[in-house]
Amino acid sequence: MAVKIIESCVNCFACLPVCPSNAIYEAKPHFLVDAKKCTECEGAFADFQCASICPIEGAILNSFGEEINPAGSLTGIPPEKMAEAMAELQAH
Amino acid sequence: MQLPVLNNVPEAKSGCAASSCGSTDSQIDSLPDAIREKVQNHPCYSEDAHHYFARMHVAVAPACNIQCHYCNRKYDCANESRPGVVSEVLTPDQAVKKTMAVAANIPQMTVLGIAGPGDPLANPEKTFETFRRLSEEAPDIKLCVSTNGLALPAAVEELAKHNIDHVTITINCVDPEIGAKIYPWIFWNNRRIKGVKAAKILIEQQQKGLEMLIAKGILVKVNSVMIPGINDEHLAEVSRVVKSKGAFLHNVMPLIAEAEHGTFYGVMGQRGPTPEELQDLQDSCSGDMNMMRHCRQCRADAVGMLGEDRGDEFTLDKIEDMDIDYQAAMEKRKVIHAAIQEEMDSKRLEKAQKAEAQKQAERMTTRPVLMAVATSGQGVINVHFGHAKEFLIYEASPSGVRFISHRKADAYCSGDISCGETESTLQRTIHSLAGCEAVLCSKVGYEPWEMLEKAGIMPNGEHAMENIEDAVMAVYREMAKAGKLTAENAPIRASA
Ligand code: SF4
Ligand code: SF4
Repeated sequence: MAVKIIESCVNCFACLPVCPSNAIYEAKPHFLVDAKKCTECEGAFADFQCASICPIEGAILNSFGEEINPAGSLTGIPPEKMAEAMAELQAH
Repeated sequence: MQLPVLNNVPEAKSGCAASSCGSTDSQIDSLPDAIREKVQNHPCYSEDAHHYFARMHVAVAPACNIQCHYCNRKYDCANESRPGVVSEVLTPDQAVKKTMAVAANIPQMTVLGIAGPGDPLANPEKTFETFRRLSEEAPDIKLCVSTNGLALPAAVEELAKHNIDHVTITINCVDPEIGAKIYPWIFWNNRRIKGVKAAKILIEQQQKGLEMLIAKGILVKVNSVMIPGINDEHLAEVSRVVKSKGAFLHNVMPLIAEAEHGTFYGVMGQRGPTPEELQDLQDSCSGDMNMMRHCRQCRADAVGMLGEDRGDEFTLDKIEDMDIDYQAAMEKRKVIHAAIQEEMDSKRLEKAQKAEAQKQAERMTTRPVLMAVATSGQGVINVHFGHAKEFLIYEASPSGVRFISHRKADAYCSGDISCGETESTLQRTIHSLAGCEAVLCSKVGYEPWEMLEKAGIMPNGEHAMENIEDAVMAVYREMAKAGKLTAENAPIRASA
């Protein structure tokens, strides 16, 4: 059981010091979780610490491969609004 | 509205609230001695000092503990002097090296700040390591730090230890209901907290931190981002609260929101204030606001004089090759600083004498006029209209000339119908000069000349290379003579 950091991570360091298991490390091109060390914060905290501070939606997955912070959950921007704005920018 | 600058000096700005306040320096003059001592040569706080002294920021603090609706962690933040995390983040060791390299090569650099790219106090080890080493190795550099305030109470003790004399707190509200529309979440006590509850905690920590800093005798400046329809009407209250607690100055900055930044406000179409709305709010918060009117919202890794960035000269590989003898550099810096001080003192004296002479001269009863000036510094008019990236706005009135604000040449689009996609850079530039009746530059082309006249802004290229304040006064006198300055001739302000 372990969480996973994927390529949308922006290397902001926020998760690194809050992990109770020292499971997160700096790597290229993005931060990674040592699956052997990650305890999913069991026994230490009610929520995954890394996913509670990470500012990037979708950057951390749970052990089922699901986004812990799905699109729109952190920024409050409805995903369709974001898609619309991006399409508009593409058109220019 | 009565807005005392500091609670223990209620008379500080008496006679200064009206538009007749002589100049920015008189704002500084009205501060208590200890504070004035600290700020009068600070490029971010003193209008004349920023022509001579420079500041730099180092990006050592990538992590953040809150989210703001005007920020996207992926990119440079246009609002809070913050580069995005994709920009070069330095280790404390690299930051110290860079600072000393810059200080040795740009002796005018006197202030080092940490402002990001995240929140400096959410990265306490990196931030304090940088400060600790710099106070030991480069004691002639002033240190300052900006924060969102969430982790501030816990950091005050440590800040006081490193002898940091300026802290900037970004406070956008004192009402959690309003805060919930600005901050979607905070990370607090091992949880992500959202909504009004999150805003309430953040506000409490900011206010507590502010009080603790004041109690320790550390200078506090408050920054606010003006977000029309969200906190614009509320900021006068913020101003009142933070000043009553002892913040020595409150700086209101305009929201910058574009869809391509991918921020909540950008994508949701929240607009920024027009230059006039910003100025009206700054006027209504009056008093010491003047001190920051030259604020350029510089980036957290900017290097150089305000509005300029020489960061490219000091990239990591370049500073790696530099061999800095800081003791020698410090001697050289001392000599140069003394020379600058002398020049500044004589200019300040000259200005005071001029103001005095002005007072003695026949009293004019004409109305005040706003004028835009194109300059690249040194206090003279020296930029071609078409080349100006920014304009300095001055107000001329019978009591003299005072600096009001700085406007980007084509950065403002107020979102009304006259500002559609088809609007040219020239039109946008003219749009950004709304409220001004004249624009002084070294030269103006034929096409802009006609468009400026049509927009009711008198182009003027007759004062190239002249001292700004003298030229503005000369133009003002001409306007007065031509009978353009009676009350009936006042321009209709477009800020309806
Ligand atoms: S879930 Fe907890 S233990 Fe696992 S990496 Fe994240 S913070 Fe560390
Ligand atoms: S907090 Fe998120 S974005 Fe930042 S380093 Fe960790 S996983 Fe990457």
